[in-house]
Amino acid sequence: MNQVVAIAVNTFRETIRDRVLAVIVVFALVMIAGGLWLGSISLGEQGRMMKDFGLVAVTFFGLIVAVFIAAGLVHKEVEKRTVFVLFSKPVSRAAFICGKFIGLCGTMAVVLGGMGVFLFLLVWIVAHDASGMLLVAVAMIYVQLLAIMAVTIFFSTLGSAILASVLGICVFVAGQLSHNVLSLTRLSHNAVTAALSWIVYVVIPNLSAVDVKAGVVGESTLSWGEIGVWTAYLLAYVVVVLALATLVFRRKEF
Amino acid sequence: MVPAIQITGLHKTVRVGFRRREVVILRGVDLDVHENDVFGLLGPNGAGKTTTVKVALGLMRPTAGSVQLGVPGVSQVGYLPENPYFYDYLSGREFLGFCARLFGLDASRRRERVEELLREVGLERAADAQLRKYSKGMLQRVGIAQALVNDPQLVLLDEPMTGLDPVGRVEVKRIIQRLHETGKTIMFNSHILSDVHELCTRIAIMREGRVAWTGAVSEALAEAPTLESFFMRVVTA
Repeated sequence: MNQVVAIAVNTFRETIRDRVLAVIVVFALVMIAGGLWLGSISLGEQGRMMKDFGLVAVTFFGLIVAVFIAAGLVHKEVEKRTVFVLFSKPVSRAAFICGKFIGLCGTMAVVLGGMGVFLFLLVWIVAHDASGMLLVAVAMIYVQLLAIMAVTIFFSTLGSAILASVLGICVFVAGQLSHNVLSLTRLSHNAVTAALSWIVYVVIPNLSAVDVKAGVVGESTLSWGEIGVWTAYLLAYVVVVLALATLVFRRKEF
Repeated sequence: MVPAIQITGLHKTVRVGFRRREVVILRGVDLDVHENDVFGLLGPNGAGKTTTVKVALGLMRPTAGSVQLGVPGVSQVGYLPENPYFYDYLSGREFLGFCARLFGLDASRRRERVEELLREVGLERAADAQLRKYSKGMLQRVGIAQALVNDPQLVLLDEPMTGLDPVGRVEVKRIIQRLHETGKTIMFNSHILSDVHELCTRIAIMREGRVAWTGAVSEALAEAPTLESFFMRVVTA
């Protein structure tokens, strides 16, 4: 446990001090603020436009940070050979993967928390239309990205950082669509297509299940119970993927 | 005498490239390092020195053969890899604190140990600078400090003198001598035969994945005028 905490704290320090992260966050804040302009040209829908645009910016930049940092976390340690230093000490592969993931969770909490609070304040000050649901939506984006981070870490134990990044983004896109694809293929009455889409639905995390952006702009959304259940599903998914990443990483030699 | 490291019939084969071509790195290494030895592992590039150390540490699995350490586990081993790279955005003090935490040292013992080590490797003034601003010699010294963070009985150093200026080399040699005086066992790989001559009690010379010769430095010098000429005779035989 001590090792997991040590690696998590170290990962948090290392990633939060990375200048590339600072640049991306500044870009994200500029984009979120860009919602002001979109709001000003929309008739009577300033608050809605700002929230819509802001949440898309938070998702997009959150995804970039999550995928690119997660892809480099394990790969960089192997490439730069810091794993020699770690694994010559009493550190298990499982502690390494868990510590890395928890440290990145901390970094993402700071990044998304910062972007979410900035968006909330902007909407509150300019459009007087901020609700707690906006922060819930940001929290759900965080839960989605936890699954993507775990998947990206898993891919980074198998191949290069670039491949892991690309696959992480692909899983994010597929995760937004997997439920719709499943519903559509059920309509086709083709057993093979239905079975295949069901397999994809099981393997790819159903990210759209915790998407509450519609609720932010006053449309119908999930109940709290559903949000809780789907959040638990994504966290269980994270645990399974990290366990697989550990199994793969255990077989690696340095 | 109890061996600090006992390596018996160690073989290592790896598969490389797209076609998974087999490459044999170790072809039956037999080696005993005794307690309180300063043991020099010598050999030309590609002889299998680093692989032997990696297998001893569990970073690689042996294809055949065994490695037995005379200490209770990695908690009593310190290791400095060749050309070490550490976390760019951490300071030297933070990095050593991190390493100490991996061994489960509590906060006060950790602080104490980190300060001791910073003093020992002469990095007190640079302790709060980020590692990306360290010179190669400073990185090597912080690497040695992290290898000693757990006060290990067995210290494995891979090319500890590489990239150091003369002052840095003297300091590292002094650290190795001090470790020897306190009863530790040290094994290091090196191409710098003058350092090996100065520091080592025993040596092994590896060639093509095997130990071609092992014995005391004095035995080698009884057979040739210099360690260099003895080394050349063994590796070209």
